[in-house]
Amino acid sequence: MSEQEFQPKIVAFLCNWCTYVAADAAGVSRFIQKPNVRAIRVNCSGMVDPSYIVKAFASGADGVLIGGCHPGDCHYISGNIKAMRRAPLLKKLLTELGVEDQRFRLRWIAASEPSHFQKTVNEMTEEVRKLGPFTRKKKNAKRSAA
Amino acid sequence: MRAEQKKKLAVYTATGCRACEQGILDLNYQVSEIGRFADPVFWPYVLGTPWEALQDGVDVALFSGAIRTEADRQAALKLREKSQLMVAVGACAAFGGLPGLADLGGGAEAPAAAAAGGAAEEDKPTLPGIEPQTLCLSQVVKVDYVVPGCPPTQNLLWAAVLALVCRGESPARLSYAAARLPEPVAEAMASGMLPPRGTTFAGEKAVCGSCSRVKEEKKFGTVKRPYQEYQETGRCLLEQGLICQGVATQEGCGGICTGVGVPCRGCFGKAPAIFDPGTKMVSAISSTFDSKDAKEISGLVDNFVDLAGTFYRYSLPAQCSLLATPDQSSETDKGCDRCRG
Repeated sequence: MSEQEFQPKIVAFLCNWCTYVAADAAGVSRFIQKPNVRAIRVNCSGMVDPSYIVKAFASGADGVLIGGCHPGDCHYISGNIKAMRRAPLLKKLLTELGVEDQRFRLRWIAASEPSHFQKTVNEMTEEVRKLGPFTRKKKNAKRSAA
Repeated sequence: MRAEQKKKLAVYTATGCRACEQGILDLNYQVSEIGRFADPVFWPYVLGTPWEALQDGVDVALFSGAIRTEADRQAALKLREKSQLMVAVGACAAFGGLPGLADLGGGAEAPAAAAAGGAAEEDKPTLPGIEPQTLCLSQVVKVDYVVPGCPPTQNLLWAAVLALVCRGESPARLSYAAARLPEPVAEAMASGMLPPRGTTFAGEKAVCGSCSRVKEEKKFGTVKRPYQEYQETGRCLLEQGLICQGVATQEGCGGICTGVGVPCRGCFGKAPAIFDPGTKMVSAISSTFDSKDAKEISGLVDNFVDLAGTFYRYSLPAQCSLLATPDQSSETDKGCDRCRG
């Protein structure tokens, strides 16, 4: 990794019961991961309001990852279903506002899947790196027509 | 009341439809009252006054319309310089309004192309230059008061005119508008003082707070447009599958649209407690999806069109946290302490 290479900032909202544990385990297991992720531990992926994600982008994040338990495994029974309902509509809004598709992801990563977490982080970092820094450009906006 | 004590009033519309100026005329019999307290020295739309009329300055400028062209910017700067109080009237001046949506389409090219269309070279009008981005008034000059709405509702507009132009003359008449305004504003108006600087003449909560519809368990089957299906059942419009933005919009209108079955379009801008109106709407709508299946949900989402244009219909230049331009008002901090009280 050269000094000049663009280092994307990725904000990751990780669920306390699954993905955060997986991230922890990935570290303990010494899996090699890109150091571009800023993890924010939340109690549940269902509490990640769409405004958190937009605020992250507005404050300089180049990518946002939400990690939750697999559907059906939620510690709070249905929190991740709420996240699942929000994500597609938010993604559509973000695309219309000029945020590329690959910059925002929702992934289900169980506590026992640290390698999945490692893979997700490495993949996302590389793809966001290719896109370059996120800039607020109205021209990127793609509107969906009636 | 002697003539020289009358407040001098300026009314101007930049890029806009002039419905706000119509709104002032639409104050019914009250509009003649304004003449007792104020002298409209500059009102090009109604009186055809030239810019020279501003020479001696005015007390209150009611500015509506967005800043889209260089001429708009010059007008805003000039009025700010000549006026003690600058009031942004209407959604365009307050948040950018509908003209602000032009920025989603790539902006400046459209008017140039339209101007070139078909006309002979000598017949082409000279257009003022287009600003790189559509702006609201507070992004160009310092704004003292805001009257939101598209156009502003009669009672709030009248409250603003009474409070700022006919100061202290007829507090009793304010009581009906005062009920809708935040307490400090209403109190200041009732005692004949200027309301606190920066006051928005609107309520404090969301439109849902004053909407009389019955809210039940929310389920969103398919999205509908207002013309497609609507049955007067008195139920919440969002629950019926209509995109009603009352939940994200500042109150003050009294729910007049939702009261007659028309979904809220958000012309009062976002409610103060909300970070971003678009994300609030995403949150509100997606929570009503009645499905646990990812494919089914993305199928539902495919039915929605033009989310950015819908959620930020009136507020893109000022309140869309990803695309908004920050306020640039500090340089023109003029005429704001002289006239307090």
